[in-house]
Order: sequence, then structure tokens, then C-alpha cells
Amino acid sequence: MKKLLAVMAALILSLPLCGLAEEQAADKLKEFVVYNDKNAKDNHFIPSGWMGDYGDVKINDQSADNPHAGTTGIQFIYSAKKAQNQGWAGVYWQNPANNWGNKKGGFDLTGMTKLTFWARGAKGGEVIQKVMVGGIKGTYPDSASVEMGPIELTDTWKQYTINLAGRDLTYINGGFGWTTTADLNPEGVTFYLDDIKFEADPAIKPEAKKQEGMPFYVYSDRSSAKNHYIPAGWMGDYGDIKYDGSSKEDPYLGDTCVKIIYNGKKAQGSGWAGIFWQNPANNWGTVDGGFDLSKATKLTFWARGVKGGERIEEFKVGGIMGEYSDSDSAVIGPVILNKEWTQYTIDLKGKDMSYVIGGFCWAANVDNNPEGATFYLDEIKYE
Amino acid sequence: MWIITLKALRSTLMKLSTNKKNRDKIKATGRKFFLLAACSLFVLVFCLGMASVPSPKVHIRKLKNGHYQLIVDRKPYIVKGVCYNPAPISQNHEYDWWSDPNRPWLIDGKLMRDMGVNTIRIYQTHENAEEAKQVIRDLYTKFGIRTALGSWLGFWEYPCPFYGDKRFQNRVKNEVLKMVNLYKDEPGVLMWILGNENNYSCLGQVNPWSNEEIDKEPDPQKQKAMRAKIYYSFVNTLAQEIHKIDPNHPVALGNGELVGLEFAKQYAPDVDLVACIIYRGKTFGNLFRSLKMTFDKPILLSEFGADCYDAYLKKEDQNMQAFFLESQLRQIYENLANNQEGAGNCIGGTIFEWTDEWWKHDESNPDSWAVHDTDSNWSNGSYYFDIKAEGNKNMNEEWFGIVALSKELENGLNKRIPRKAYYVIREFWKNPQIKNKIKGKRIK
Repeated sequence: MKKLLAVMAALILSLPLCGLAEEQAADKLKEFVVYNDKNAKDNHFIPSGWMGDYGDVKINDQSADNPHAGTTGIQFIYSAKKAQNQGWAGVYWQNPANNWGNKKGGFDLTGMTKLTFWARGAKGGEVIQKVMVGGIKGTYPDSASVEMGPIELTDTWKQYTINLAGRDLTYINGGFGWTTTADLNPEGVTFYLDDIKFEADPAIKPEAKKQEGMPFYVYSDRSSAKNHYIPAGWMGDYGDIKYDGSSKEDPYLGDTCVKIIYNGKKAQGSGWAGIFWQNPANNWGTVDGGFDLSKATKLTFWARGVKGGERIEEFKVGGIMGEYSDSDSAVIGPVILNKEWTQYTIDLKGKDMSYVIGGFCWAANVDNNPEGATFYLDEIKYE
Repeated sequence: MWIITLKALRSTLMKLSTNKKNRDKIKATGRKFFLLAACSLFVLVFCLGMASVPSPKVHIRKLKNGHYQLIVDRKPYIVKGVCYNPAPISQNHEYDWWSDPNRPWLIDGKLMRDMGVNTIRIYQTHENAEEAKQVIRDLYTKFGIRTALGSWLGFWEYPCPFYGDKRFQNRVKNEVLKMVNLYKDEPGVLMWILGNENNYSCLGQVNPWSNEEIDKEPDPQKQKAMRAKIYYSFVNTLAQEIHKIDPNHPVALGNGELVGLEFAKQYAPDVDLVACIIYRGKTFGNLFRSLKMTFDKPILLSEFGADCYDAYLKKEDQNMQAFFLESQLRQIYENLANNQEGAGNCIGGTIFEWTDEWWKHDESNPDSWAVHDTDSNWSNGSYYFDIKAEGNKNMNEEWFGIVALSKELENGLNKRIPRKAYYVIREFWKNPQIKNKIKGKRIK
């Protein structure tokens, strides 16, 4: 009986140790494979998520044409014929197959700090627009979304690394993915991938988004390298707007300024229109982008109306709401423009400007500009 | 009486003394005893006096760390609420559910209690005070659910709310004070919420109003400031008046987003908290810290939530609604008092809303009130699942209920069918997990 008790006590005491051992084993896992070789037991994701012009993509996942390691690699042929009229295509490795976030799957990859893969082009010069880890949305969204690119391939194998340090990898269904476009590869491309895997490399440090120094320009001059945002977010009656980012009509500073003609004809029936300067272009909070402008205490810009008296309902920074929302917003308006250049300031004190996709915005409406409005902007910058 | 007893005791002690020394000792001891007893008496009287002025039944407590708690009956209270307007299928917002002989609040109250709801928000009280009191009482006594009572402050009056007109202000003030007087002694009342998104009228975005003085001002930004001053000063006056007649319930300033609160800081310091309407998708972003910087008051999320219709795929998606709501609740809990990672100024929220309302999409067409419309009137990119819907219109007003309505009748009412969000929220409230609990398979 005493022996039995002793054995039971030993078992009970050893249980937590077993758990600990298992934790440590998981924590110490050095790598986790996406694709190794055809039919390898440690392949954990399936290249099932075909996107865009999926009719343009062919895959051979047992290509014996000079694999990087083992016996096979993956060959992709992208014809760029726009079979689905999209102009782009790509493939996600998912778990389980075809999981676009509609079912629970994926892996908890906590502890991994990077994803590495080997790639080469058939000729060299092939351009992959971007490669991704995570980023699948849906009801069960990936806990992280990391992108890298574009990548120009060479005709020899080269290893690439996606930094995942500091990322929340508790739920990753989209283990790896790539996209490319017909514009980047008008003749199509053939390229190869091999040995795609997550790795736990303690030497990798998180890639922090650095706090940008001030002043930080939205618009300085046409083609200025200092311009950080793109006036791509046209809103409301976008058909009523004419945008000229290189107007030479009496710029406030430098060679050029922005000229906006808003004709107020309600092309889309909205009765208002506006433009958001975004990063990257057309980012309505759909992709991770923007800048950390935490050091900014204000945004200043110069504006004038062609006649004076043009009424702009809002000048705004931030406020784009989406999966990746701006961290804050600030607004002034309505503003009645003068005929002479006048500087305006949006106060940012106390605002969280750590993540700004929407760098600047204006919006006007036809009610207050029945004849439309023509106005100029220049030297839009964070200070 | 206490003094008489003490005198008698002292006299007895004196009589018992046999010599001068003893008498002196007894005298000294008696003096000490008298002093001690007097002090005790003072403390007792002071305590009794305090006891006769009990702390308000419901109030806001500011903690030493700057965080805020809502205190109800001396205990911290997290508002786990829903917005309640149980319009049946085929009826619109004018339907008098308070007088419904089938008493929908009893069916709903039980479902709510089982879910963990402790508060409902009502935008405007009923004309018949006795019926309204019965609803509040039933919900409180039968299900332990309190009521946050609101007033539109005349926001929907045609052609617009004339906040710049003293007569209009006085009329609204009388209505509000009448409400407070009528319901302040109901044990189930939690707080007063003044207005909803009325601040947008100061910007001229909704129900714009003006007066002669404002019209004379050419600068539209100054006009906006003038309107904000008038409106928030008016709300402040209401808060002061309410506090005079009802010290037992806090007064909330209803506000759309945080818009205009820089003016409220200046002109409405007497409101106890803000009750904000926020639709920001899966995250409230910088809301809580931004409020702390702008107008340091506690916040009730008096409207938040998500619809459950995917306007892009054109089908109901209960998972989508549950996903957004759970994410929003995590943020609410992260910002409650005493959580070091949050701003500590949130006291909870009332989800919009309990049941679907089938009249909302095309409210001027009664025929459509019997149809569960799937068209959307507005766009909000932060609800990104279905933002690719035509014209980006992805918000389906008739599909915000965490409980669906069926055309099938049960006890004379449209049958209630809890959606996935009902169960997800119930589990969250039972065991709040602030961090995202979705985890993939453990790798080995």
C-alpha cells in the first residue's frame, strides 16, 4: 500500500514536469516547415489559395528541375494573360486547404521569428510583387499580416527572409503566399520556390516602424522625393475633380503646387467630393502601411482659392478606418479660402499619430460651392 | 440621555470615595473617563450624522490612479448593456411597446438575464409614466436589470432643434426635469443620458440649427464654436438642475464620437460622464486615451456593435457580427478601471441593439416594415468584411440585433432567436478574456 502511495505521489509530482517538458519542447522548436519536398511529412500548409487571375497560374509541386535541396521544388508559371481580367495573381499556402478565414485551422507559431524561403527565376529578372505571411481575414483572421517585396529574382537560388520577430503568431492560417502582376511581368514568368519554413532565430529583432523625423512632407513639389503620401483616395463625386500635382500657377514655394478643380456637377450624385493622400496608394485601411508620425505636433499647409471665398468643409489628417485604422484623426473646417496664399494649421497636440495611413485630406460640397471651386495647395507637411 | 447617565456614574464614583487621596484619584479618573466618553459620544454623533447622509446610490468614483468606476449600491458596476427598442415586425419606431399586453420586456428580460445583461438603454421615456415605471420595475425586480433612461433633448423636432432659442431650451428642460422627477425614485434607474448624437447638429451635419447671432458671424468655424458653446452650456444647465433634484443618479452627456468634446470640457463640466456612440469596427483605436486628453470624464459606450448581414456576399453572417462584438468588448474591458494596459476611463457599454428593427431601411414606406431589407444605406470601412459591396455600402441597419425576430409568433410576440453573438457575449461576460483567444494548433 505504501509502495502504491509512493508511486502515485511520484506520478502526480511528475505530471507538471511532463507538461513543462512538453512546453519546453515546443518552445525550443527550431523550425516549422511550410514546404520541404513533395509529400514530405513535415509540409504543414497547402498551396490552395489561388487569387486574382488564377487561370494564369500553373503549379508543379514536384519539379525535379534543379531543386534547391531534396528531390523536388515548386515551379510556378504565371502567363500574365489576365484570364480573370484582374491583372494580378497569387497563391496562399493555407491550413486547412482553401481556408479563407471561414473555419478554424492554422497554427500557433509563437516562438518563430522569421520565415525563410529559397527562390530563383527561370531566366533571372522575374519580379514577385510581394510575399506574405498571414494576412488572411475572415471570421478566423490571421493574428499577423507581414509582407515583403517587391523581389527581383535571379537565375540562381537565393534565400529570402521575412522578419516575424515581435509579431503575434498565435494564429497563422496563411503560412506563406506570393502575388505578382502583369504590369511587372508583361510576358509572364516562370519561377521556383523551395524550402519554405518558419524558424526560431533568437538573433532576429523586431522591425519597429521608426518614428519619422520632422518636418515630414505630404507634398513638397512635383516628383519630390520628400512626398510621402499619394493623392489616390478620391471620394464622393470623384468625377467632379481634376487634380494637377504639378501646377506652375504661382506656387507658394518651389516649382510647383497642387491645383484642384472641383466643378460641383455631382457626377456620382453625392453632392460632395474630396481627396485623401494615402500610403500606400488606395489604402483605405486594407493594408498595413502609413508612417509613425508621433513626433508631429501639427500639420501645416498653404492654400488659396482662385477667386477667394471657396469653402472647404474639412481639412483633415488621419481618420481612415479599416482593418488597419489610422491611430487618430484631427480636423479643421469649414475654411473659407483667401485669394492670397494663407497658411493653415491642424493642431496635433495630444493626438496619437503613431500610425497614419491618411496623411492629408480635403472635402468640399456643392451646397456651399454651387459653382464649384478651384483652389491651390502647397507645402503640406507635419512639423 | 447619554449626559444624564454619565453624570450619574460620576456621582456614584464620588460617593464611593472614602478619603481625600482616593477622592482625588477618583476625581482624576472620572475626568479622564468623562473626556473619553464625551469624545466617544462626539464620534458616535458624527457617525450617526454621516449615516443620515448616505452616499449616492449610483455615482462615479475617481480612483487615486485617475481611473473611473461606476458605483452602484457601493459596489463597482460594469455596464453590460443593450439598447432596447423592441419594435415588432411590421411596426416602426412609433410602436407603443410599453403598452403591449404581451409585455415583450418580460420575454426579453429573461433572455437578457440568461445572457448576463445588467442594463438596458432606452432613448426616450414613454408618455404614460405608470406603464414606463412598470417596465423599469419588472426588469429590475424580476431580472436584476437596470435602466439607463434617456432624452433626445428635442433633437428630432421639426424642422430642427432650436438650441439657440431660450423658449425651446426651457421646454426641453421642463421635459427632462419632469422625467427625472417621475423616475428618480425607481430602484431600477441607473442614470440619465442627455441627447444622443446631438453634437452633430452643431457642425451642421445633422438637423442644422442657428440663430440671429450665429447667422451674423461670417466665419463658419466660429459659427460651429458658437453653436457648440450654446449646446454644451445648455446640457450643463440640465446636469446642474438634475443634480439638485436627484443626487442619486449620474448624468451622462450623449455624444456622437468624441466630436465637439473640446467644447464640452469648457462648457459642460458638470456632467458626470460621457455616453458616446462609436462604430469603429474591431477596435476603438485611440478613443479612450483621446478622451482622457480632451475631456477627462468616464465613458459609457452607449452605442456600439455590428450588423450581421454581409452586404458583399448578400447573406446573413452571424460569425462576422460575433467577431466584431467580441473584439469591441475586449477593448472595453481593457479600458476599465485598474487595468494598467488601458486608459481606465471606461465603465462599460450598451450594445446596439437587442433585437433587429425591420422598419429602418425604408422608414417612410410602411409596406417595407414587414420585410427584412438587405439593402444598405451607408458605408463604414472599419467593418471591412463586406466593404467591397456595391458602392461600399456595407452597413445594414435592420440587422444589428443580437437577437433575431421571426415572423412566427410566440406568446403573441415575434419569436426571439438569439444569434451567435448572444452566446459569444454571454461567454465573454462570464469569463472576460482581454487577449484574442483564437489560437492555432500548438506546434510540436
